[in-house]
Amino acid sequence: MKRLMIVLAAGLVLSSLPVVAHHSNAMFDQDRVIEMSGTVKEFQFTNPHTWLQVVVTDAAGRETEWSLEWGSPNNLGRQGIRPSTFPPGSALKVRTYPMKDGSPGGLFIGAMFNDGKTVGNWE
Amino acid sequence: MPNQLKKSLWTVLATAACVVSWPLAAQDRPDWSGVWAMIGGTIFDADTKTGEGGSTTPGVREHPPYNAEWEAKYLANLAQRDAGTFPDPNSFCGIPTGFPRIFNLPDVYEFAVTDKQVWIITENGPNIMRIYTDGRAHPPAEDMWPTHTGDSVGHWEGDTLVFDTLSLHSSESGNTILDRTGLILSDAAHSVTRMRINDNGQMEVQMTIDDARAFTAPWVVTKRFRHLEEGSRVYDYACNENNRNPIDPNTGWTYTTDTEGNIIDRNPGQ
Repeated sequence: MKRLMIVLAAGLVLSSLPVVAHHSNAMFDQDRVIEMSGTVKEFQFTNPHTWLQVVVTDAAGRETEWSLEWGSPNNLGRQGIRPSTFPPGSALKVRTYPMKDGSPGGLFIGAMFNDGKTVGNWE
Repeated sequence: MPNQLKKSLWTVLATAACVVSWPLAAQDRPDWSGVWAMIGGTIFDADTKTGEGGSTTPGVREHPPYNAEWEAKYLANLAQRDAGTFPDPNSFCGIPTGFPRIFNLPDVYEFAVTDKQVWIITENGPNIMRIYTDGRAHPPAEDMWPTHTGDSVGHWEGDTLVFDTLSLHSSESGNTILDRTGLILSDAAHSVTRMRINDNGQMEVQMTIDDARAFTAPWVVTKRFRHLEEGSRVYDYACNENNRNPIDPNTGWTYTTDTEGNIIDRNPGQ
C-alpha cells in the first residue's frame, strides 16, 4: 500500500481530544494532525494504554511501523472498543497527533477502514 | 427516673448518635453502590484555575492560598510542567496516589459503605483509602507516621460522611502531588471532608484543607462524580503490564518505546 500522509488543521479534531491519563502528553504535537494509510499489524489492548501498530509503506516501498497510543483498555472497553476492534491485516486510514521529533509514533485520534467503518474520532 | 429526665436523656443520646462516630446499621447506610466517574478533567481545583487547557498545558495553574515559600515551590513545578519534565509519581507505576489526589483520578470509582468503614476504591492505580467509622480516634501522634492516604476517622451526619484526615506525606518527598500542574501540600496538611449524594444524584466530595506550613488560610475544594449506567464494570488497572512510556530519571522526560522496548523518540530539550 502506498503511503499517504496528509497534514490536517488540528482544529478539525481538537473538539474531542483522546485521553492519555498515565503520563504527560508533552511528546505529542497537538497542533498538528497527520493522516496515513496503512495496515494493522497489532492492537495491544493493554494497561496502562492501548497501542495500535500500523505498517505504512512509502513511495519507495520502504515499510515503517508506527506506534499509535490511545486510552486505557478499561475506559475504551466501557465505550465499546474491544481487542478485536482492529483485526491484524486490515487496511485503514489513521489520524494521529504525531511525535514532536518526527519519530514514527503519535497519539491516536481515529481510524477509518476501507469499508467506511470508523473508530474513535473521525469527523 | 422522672419521665422528663428520661426524655431529655434520650434526646441527648439520639443527637450524639447523629454527630459522633457510631457503627452504622445496615438499614441506615446510604446507597453508594455502583460505578462512578469524576466530572471534569484532572485539574484538582477547577474553581481557581486560570489559563486555557488541561493540567499539562503551559500557562494553566490553580491558586491555593499558598504562602510565599510554597508559592515559589509551585512556580518551580509549573516551570517543569511547561518543559514537559515534571516528575509525576503516577507515571512511574510504583506508588499509591494518596489523599487528596485519590479524588482527582481518571477512570472510575467505587464507594463501599460498611458498618464500620468506608472504602474509596479507584480503578486507576488501583488505590484504596480506608475511613474508619467505628468510633475510633486518630492514634496518638507518636504512633503515626506519614503515609500516602494518611489516617482517616469519620462519622455520619445523616447521609453525609464527615471524616478527618492527617498524617500525610509531604510533597517535598516527591511522593505526593495533587495534579500534573505540580500542585503540592506539606506534611502538615489536614483535611475535613464531607461526602454525600447531592440533589443532582452526584457524589459530592468537599474537602476543607488546612496546611500550617504551606497555606495562609483553609482551602476548600469540591469534586463531583457521576453515576455510570447500571451494570457498568470496573476492570484491572496494571500500570506495568505494558508500560511503553519510560521516564528518564535524570530529566523527567517521558519517552515512547516500540513493541520491543526500544526507545523511538528523543527529548527535544537535549
